Amino acid sequence: MTNVDVQAVAKTFGTVPVLTDISTSFPVGSFTSLLGPSGSGKTTLLRIVAGFLQPDEGVVKIGGSDVTQVPVWGRNIGMMFQSYALFPHMTVAKNVAFGLERRGIKGAEARRLVGEALEMVRLPGFADRMPKQLSGGQQQRVALARAIVIKPSVLLLDEPLSALDRRLRQEMQVELLRIQRESGLTTIFVTHDQEEALALSDKVAILDKGRIVQIGAPQEVYERPLTRFAAAFLGDSNFLTGVVENGAVRLADGTVVQATGVLPALGQTVTLAVRPEKMSVTPAEGAVNRIEAQVKTVIYAGPALSYHLQTADGTELKLFAQNHDGRLLPEGQKVTLHWSAEHTIVMAD
Amino acid sequence: MPNDGLTSASDDTSFGRGPSGPRRKPLPEWVTTTALLLPTYGWLTLAVFLPLLTMFVFSFMDKTPLGKAPVVFTIRQYRAFIDQPFLVRIAYNSLMIGMWTTLFCAVLGFLAALALARATTGRTRETMLILILLPFWTNGLVRVFSWTMVLREGGFLDVLWHMVAPDAGSISFLYTRYAIVLGLVHGYLPYMILTCYIALVTIDDAILEAAASLGARWWTILWRILLPMSAPGLISGSVLIFVPVIGSFMEPRILGGKVGVTMGTVIEDQFTQAFNWPLGASLSFIMLAVVLAIFATFSGVLRRSSGGAA
Amino acid sequence: MTRLGQVYLGVILVFLYTPILVLMAMGFNASPLYELPFSFTTHWYETLAGNDVLLTAGLHSIVLALVTSVVATVLGTIASVALSRRTFRGRNLLQVLLLPPIAIPWLITGTAMLIFFYWTGIGRGLHALIIGHVAMAIPYVVLVVGTGFKTIRTDLEEAAMSLGSTPIHAFFAVTLPLLFPSILGAALFAFAVSLDQFVISYFLSSPGYSTLPVQIYSAIRKGFTPEINAISTLLLLGSMAVILIFARFAKPGETSDKR
Repeated sequence: MTNVDVQAVAKTFGTVPVLTDISTSFPVGSFTSLLGPSGSGKTTLLRIVAGFLQPDEGVVKIGGSDVTQVPVWGRNIGMMFQSYALFPHMTVAKNVAFGLERRGIKGAEARRLVGEALEMVRLPGFADRMPKQLSGGQQQRVALARAIVIKPSVLLLDEPLSALDRRLRQEMQVELLRIQRESGLTTIFVTHDQEEALALSDKVAILDKGRIVQIGAPQEVYERPLTRFAAAFLGDSNFLTGVVENGAVRLADGTVVQATGVLPALGQTVTLAVRPEKMSVTPAEGAVNRIEAQVKTVIYAGPALSYHLQTADGTELKLFAQNHDGRLLPEGQKVTLHWSAEHTIVMAD
Repeated sequence: MPNDGLTSASDDTSFGRGPSGPRRKPLPEWVTTTALLLPTYGWLTLAVFLPLLTMFVFSFMDKTPLGKAPVVFTIRQYRAFIDQPFLVRIAYNSLMIGMWTTLFCAVLGFLAALALARATTGRTRETMLILILLPFWTNGLVRVFSWTMVLREGGFLDVLWHMVAPDAGSISFLYTRYAIVLGLVHGYLPYMILTCYIALVTIDDAILEAAASLGARWWTILWRILLPMSAPGLISGSVLIFVPVIGSFMEPRILGGKVGVTMGTVIEDQFTQAFNWPLGASLSFIMLAVVLAIFATFSGVLRRSSGGAA
Repeated sequence: MTRLGQVYLGVILVFLYTPILVLMAMGFNASPLYELPFSFTTHWYETLAGNDVLLTAGLHSIVLALVTSVVATVLGTIASVALSRRTFRGRNLLQVLLLPPIAIPWLITGTAMLIFFYWTGIGRGLHALIIGHVAMAIPYVVLVVGTGFKTIRTDLEEAAMSLGSTPIHAFFAVTLPLLFPSILGAALFAFAVSLDQFVISYFLSSPGYSTLPVQIYSAIRKGFTPEINAISTLLLLGSMAVILIFARFAKPGETSDKR
């Protein structure tokens, strides 16, 4: 088991900078998601760690040794691809044994390891099938078995679940997590699905325009986004802009909002973020903040309700509520939204 | 365990690094790319590009360079159309044969492609396509020759005709321009069917249904939707037929007899009978210029519809 | 409308095949002057068996087609690797340069070869025919193999490399086996191209080494018997068989990995 370090990595395609000065560390046995919109550089970062791409600057270390100049085939990585990339002309067993054979492991020993790996992904007895004869989820498991059977230093996952339908995907998430925990492999997972990232990872790194804008435990990143981008990309947020005044923030319409956390200097303009599910139309204990708004649209989604609202000065707000009693707020209704100071997050930008 | 000892990253549970042995810096990509391309393009240079260049040089010689007679360079060969006015008539003849062949192929081929795309499905369509293309990949000379069996006096066509009209004369038209065009249409029709078919199958049924739902009748659909949308197929098919047809020489020879004098046969004569290579070369180059002009004009269309038109 | 379309397709097929079938039938007709009515004989096939000129030319054609097929397939496949899998400056130009052998009328290319080979002393005969035929076949090989490459995802090679393959090993272990049907198809295609080639052969044949189509042409012009029909029938059936096998191998749309 090994850790992975990325130091000051930069990559430019032509004249377009894709990654700018990325430094981060993936501890032993950790499961880190790289999350970001397309073009944010998450896949490029993964491919640099894998060795498919050479960084223009910076260093990649696996297990403490510098592998920046080592080609992909010398790095001992395990990788899963979006398209599974199973070799269509080989049986499941041959696919899984491919990496072993490259390492000189053949015969009975290889058969034993292949058997174990297929056992681990719960596909015993599939050894002699061809990839074409398998379902998408089964192919995915074979790809996983193929990647872990070589006992890689690091497991790299390039949106491996995105081709699966919703049900299968949730099932595979559980599998993936179980196998990662059992094997203790340091794992880097590229995804654009935020729920998946939150559910699976120990750490989530949010990338934007070639930079890591925030990295931390899922809960930390969700509850305490640092920037507007992080707050808006991961989950939904209501943004309120105001001026710092006596340890609170006064909005344009005069509403004063309390926030915990460090506010900038007196008189500075600041943006606050509030998660839509943290607001409520009924006052609760500690909900010191309130704002008036009018219901514009109601979206009924069964267990959850979401409302689009507008304040007097035209600020758009969202509100998520549980469907407790089947009653909806009518459109046009004026309501007061309540939330607590600790749910008011001060944005750094 | 094949650990090559170079790695320090692997711990006890790892099988070690990849088996590629010592880290070898791979050759620069441009070196390998060049090495991959060199044999093919070297061969093409030797077999096609240098010969064309040489022919260009020859086209400026005053006579075929044989023996010790000094060669004089001249542009006389390119004045052939002025010096020998009958060549103009022959060139016109060749162009007309090319036009008529292309026109017949376009009409017959488009309709066949339409029938193929709209009136057949699945295995029938696949079989039909193969049956249509099969003759195209057999020997063209033999197929031209086969028409003489049909068209000659007392041939297959006459036998059929005499079944209908026992007392009528022969309707043989071998050794006429009609026979040449017929043979050429027979030879190149599959090309047009293929290019039009490729254009037509990509048209979504929903588009035709949308047109019909808007009140379009079949002739409107044909003129306003099917024909414009398959225009790239029609154009590339026409170019790919017209070009070889104006360069043809065995079809006019075999099916045209004495009337079968075209640019193709004139050029052939310079190399096999008259032994006037410079004239043959200059005529070839004039034809090549026409061909390249046609390709340049339609290059956009050809590139877009070149999917598998081999 | 559907019925009409099918009838029309039938008419087109009759048009395409009638002369070919008549040609074949006349090879079994007794009259040396092609007179009808038809009276069956295998006489012309028997005399053909003793016609050394045509049989030798047939053998030459087959030898030439085999050599062409092997050389063009090897060269074209190698070039196709670079053209399909690498990006480099001038790639588009190189792809356009594949077109002249296909697109320029063979009369022009053939006479140009005649001049150049004469002028450089390469001359005519088997070696000249091989040079010419391979050049005619290479573009088709690149096209067929290139189409094969398009059906093979590049991430298969990446997967192999992530498992420890060098790029060369990945190519031989993964891409080449998947490409094999296309390569075999290309070889058959090249064989058919060479077997059917007449114009280039016509200008590059020497009196000592000419191919079957060249002999047929000279027979057509100098006078012939239904023996020519017999040998033509065999030639047609031969190339049809090759093309039908090709169609099986390189079926468009039937790829090894569609996703």
